[in-house]
Amino acid sequence: MGYFGKVAGGFVSLLSGMSVTFRQFAKTVFGRKAVTLQYPKELPKLAPAYRSAIKLIRFDESNSHDCVACKACERICPSYCIKLSGGKVEGIKKKRVAMFEMDFALCSLCGLCLDVCPTDTLEYSKVYEEAGYNRDWRVDLLAEFRDYEDEFVAKQRVIEEKAAAEKKAKADAAKKAKEAAKAAKEKAAAEAAEAQPSETQPPEEAS
Amino acid sequence: MPIAAGLIMGMLTVNVLMLVWAERKVSAWIQMRMGPTEVGPFGLLQTLADMLKLISKQLITPSNVDKPLYHLAPLLAFAPVVAAVALFPFSQDTILVQNDYGLLFVFAFGGVAVLAIFMAGWGSNNKYALLGAIRSVAQNISYEIPLILSALSVVLVVNAMSPTLGFGEGLVETNGLDLSHIVMAQDQHGIWFVIFQPVAAVIYFISALAETNRAPFDIPEAESELVAGFHTEYSGMRFSLFFFAEYTNMLIVSMLAVVLFFGGWDGPVLPGPLWFFLKSYAVIFVMMWVRWTFPRLRFDQLMTFCWKVLIPLSILNLLVTAFVITVLGQ
Repeated sequence: MGYFGKVAGGFVSLLSGMSVTFRQFAKTVFGRKAVTLQYPKELPKLAPAYRSAIKLIRFDESNSHDCVACKACERICPSYCIKLSGGKVEGIKKKRVAMFEMDFALCSLCGLCLDVCPTDTLEYSKVYEEAGYNRDWRVDLLAEFRDYEDEFVAKQRVIEEKAAAEKKAKADAAKKAKEAAKAAKEKAAAEAAEAQPSETQPPEEAS
Repeated sequence: MPIAAGLIMGMLTVNVLMLVWAERKVSAWIQMRMGPTEVGPFGLLQTLADMLKLISKQLITPSNVDKPLYHLAPLLAFAPVVAAVALFPFSQDTILVQNDYGLLFVFAFGGVAVLAIFMAGWGSNNKYALLGAIRSVAQNISYEIPLILSALSVVLVVNAMSPTLGFGEGLVETNGLDLSHIVMAQDQHGIWFVIFQPVAAVIYFISALAETNRAPFDIPEAESELVAGFHTEYSGMRFSLFFFAEYTNMLIVSMLAVVLFFGGWDGPVLPGPLWFFLKSYAVIFVMMWVRWTFPRLRFDQLMTFCWKVLIPLSILNLLVTAFVITVLGQ
């Protein structure tokens, strides 16, 4: 290929390069296919397996979380980002958490708190707006549960009272059955004694 | 004349604002992004906001600069481009400054811009600025040769046509360098010179990209190597004067391309000036398109390309043109 061939070849390759960018241009302008996500106006579609900082699970049956403020997560957390407190609640036997705060800035998403939770009430959330506005920024994980806490306590009290009543009824029934059995045994023994008053051998000893 | 100067300044300011916006939009669309969308409809006022910011910014003068050169350079970059725009015939009747040697003047004003760039680079007392200026001067001087040679082959064609060139009362004498005569030659024969001179048109376009320091020939202000090249030390309004000059240079070279190769104001239905600017902005669009397509050349590639490809081809083109005209003329 001579000099002019090279020049012409170079020119053609320039044009083919330009056709590539023009196709992209046309696709964006006429196909309206910009890849930009206008973030505050439209939100990203997160992957199903997206995992971010923890949250408390809302269980269907109780319409609330099941945290008993055991502090296992606070103790195991390697970055000390969980702060929680709680304890006995008036009216029910179950302990409840009163304050559960997270520092998202410190959390490294290790997931140890999820593994250690005895009531399995923690899970990964899909919250990606984790930025804080000052150094001591804390996120209150209980915020969405506070309105339902009284309801939960009332429900829990009913459940516990019912459970206690059932237990009592069962215990009474068992006691009654036991007494009945005892009475029957005594009766049987008395009858046996009447039939053979002396030198009797119980059949089980013979065998 | 003051009114004309004011008109030109207003036109150029709006032009620069729109070109910066268009550049950002075109680059965004080529890269499948959206570009500015927030300020004003389609982000049109974004560059206005940028300009207000630049105007209100502090003018910093570094302590070790060569003060006269440093202060003069932005003005010297800015003034010739405004002067050059005044020479263009927007239509047969809309010519601000009628000049028999318009084409030469446009190239001469382009030469002054090189001087301003070197003054800025030298006066800044900064290694990046100086390197950028050195590259710029070497590049602009090299690429002026094919640029002028390709324009010259058009001038030859106009000269050959001059016996048939009529204007108003009758035939006009032309030296082929008057911009409006170049357009009239295309207008009256109903053919654009890009058809007579395709090679010259391509060479002109490539050299014009290099003359305006546009990518892929933007090594004088290669961001990834030289910070910002010759205007590294400039801030605020002084920087925006360089910016203004750069984008107005784009307009000038594309207007010259329209005059030389695409028939100037010549076009159906629409009025002349509208055609003129439509064509100019089409050429500018191609310049932006090229910018967002090709990577920057290395300096030796740049020089090799100019001296081994563009200059021989443009000389050959000129010789062939002269030969054909001579043969046809006999």
